[in-house]
Amino acid sequence: MTTGGTGQMLLVEDNPHDLELAMRTFGKAGVAERVQFARDGAEALDRLFGDATRPVHAESDNLGLVVLDLHLPKVDGQEILRRIKSDARTKHIPVVVLTSSRELKDVAECYRLGANSYVIKPVSSEEYALVVRTLGVYWLQFNHPPK
Amino acid sequence: MTKLTSLDSHAALDESTREIRDLKAALDEHAIVAITDPQGKISYVNDKFCAISQYSRDELLGQDHRVVNSAHHPKEFFRALWATIGRGRVWKGEIQNRAKDGTFYWVDTTIVPFLDESGKPRQYVAIRADITERKRAEEQVRELNAALEQRVLERTAQLEAANRELEAFSYSVSHDLRAPLRAMDGFSLAVLEDFGPQLPGEGQRQLQVIRQAAQRMGRLIDDLLGFSRLGRQPLRTQAVDSGALVRTVLEELGAPWPDRQVEVRLGKLPACVGDAALLRQVWMNLLSNAVKYSRKRYCARIEIGARRDGAADIFFVRDNGTGFDMRFADKLFGVFQRLHRVEDYEGTGVGLAIVQRIILRHGGRVWAEAAPDQGATFSFTLGEGVGA
Repeated sequence: MTTGGTGQMLLVEDNPHDLELAMRTFGKAGVAERVQFARDGAEALDRLFGDATRPVHAESDNLGLVVLDLHLPKVDGQEILRRIKSDARTKHIPVVVLTSSRELKDVAECYRLGANSYVIKPVSSEEYALVVRTLGVYWLQFNHPPK
Repeated sequence: MTKLTSLDSHAALDESTREIRDLKAALDEHAIVAITDPQGKISYVNDKFCAISQYSRDELLGQDHRVVNSAHHPKEFFRALWATIGRGRVWKGEIQNRAKDGTFYWVDTTIVPFLDESGKPRQYVAIRADITERKRAEEQVRELNAALEQRVLERTAQLEAANRELEAFSYSVSHDLRAPLRAMDGFSLAVLEDFGPQLPGEGQRQLQVIRQAAQRMGRLIDDLLGFSRLGRQPLRTQAVDSGALVRTVLEELGAPWPDRQVEVRLGKLPACVGDAALLRQVWMNLLSNAVKYSRKRYCARIEIGARRDGAADIFFVRDNGTGFDMRFADKLFGVFQRLHRVEDYEGTGVGLAIVQRIILRHGGRVWAEAAPDQGATFSFTLGEGVGA
């Protein structure tokens, strides 16, 4: 995969194993340096909207994708999704929900809140790698976000 | 002549007096009677009135009805009563009164106003019947109903709580149990990719076993969740074209299987009434089993048909596959029950449990007949109320 675009990806994932496997895949795909990550909901919000020391996050303008797990410590994924999609500074950023929840009400609620895609984490590692790689390629390389 | 007439009229008067006396005697036997003057002062009460109110005649005469007032009815009630009889109209209603000892009694009451020549009420005659028992029974029914309603509310709340708990449980199963499996599979793969060349062949095989087991558990979780979801969703019944349903399922299963020799005989299937999506799953599971367990035959035969049995249609799927020993037939429809080795026939053992659950929810019945190596026949009916 070539790194044609310049956008960054924010991966919000609390499970350290899933995170390591995802970063491994991104490393193999050569985009690891474009992936930031947050380990819980509060950290994700800080990165998106800044915290006490940085009123607005410097890099959020260059964020081309947020990949969001739903079950997160502190602030859950749906709340982060709601905040992203209801804030003028961030609502243009594509959000892909990547979760193990197959519950129909989760799918419906995420799309209602403005999710751009909903992907169920496959158990098989080959498929998981394929999903992570495909998301990176599609949203960071092929997708053309508004500026 | 005149005398005779006078005698006649005397006789007639006697006759009518007797009649009135008889009527009054009968009325007194039956009813509580009181007469009041235009101001509401009691001018007459019969024995029954005294008995039920526990007041003597002397205590009642000259009083108004406030002496037996129970304070049960609002002021407007009596205002409306007086307005009605004051206008010369009959009033009917049920009144709760209070006896001398403080106990309450109910009377079904009819008050008839009698007017003078100028049209003003001259007196009111009130005829009453004791309905205390009926009122008590009504009150009991009301209390029982309220208690029943309360219990239904409580039970419903308990059921809803149990349902929510179950949902939260399956939610957490689907999320939390999958994560370790991804790690087992993912890191096994990472070892194979990163250190594969340094591993002896047996080490590589053992890592593959870990991966296969993790993936199999993922499928078990999926199937179990699917099974538990079945009980939660409501049935959406409609008319279902069984023949068309079976044809699309066969197509989805890959019929006509170019790489195998499979002979499918699809008989005429009657329409039925049921939940189309669930019945689709029934056919899908039965037919995919027939395809699966007949795959070691040089020429597999799958027969799909229906026959009439009294009021019910019996649908069946028959194959000439590996069959099973009828001694284990009772295990067939249990969750995670399998009658074959996983290395011979893949599967999680949930398919027939799902079939049975769907059929039972439709009020029907499902059963199997088979013999080892002689094929199997699965038959089912849909409930009388649901079936065609």
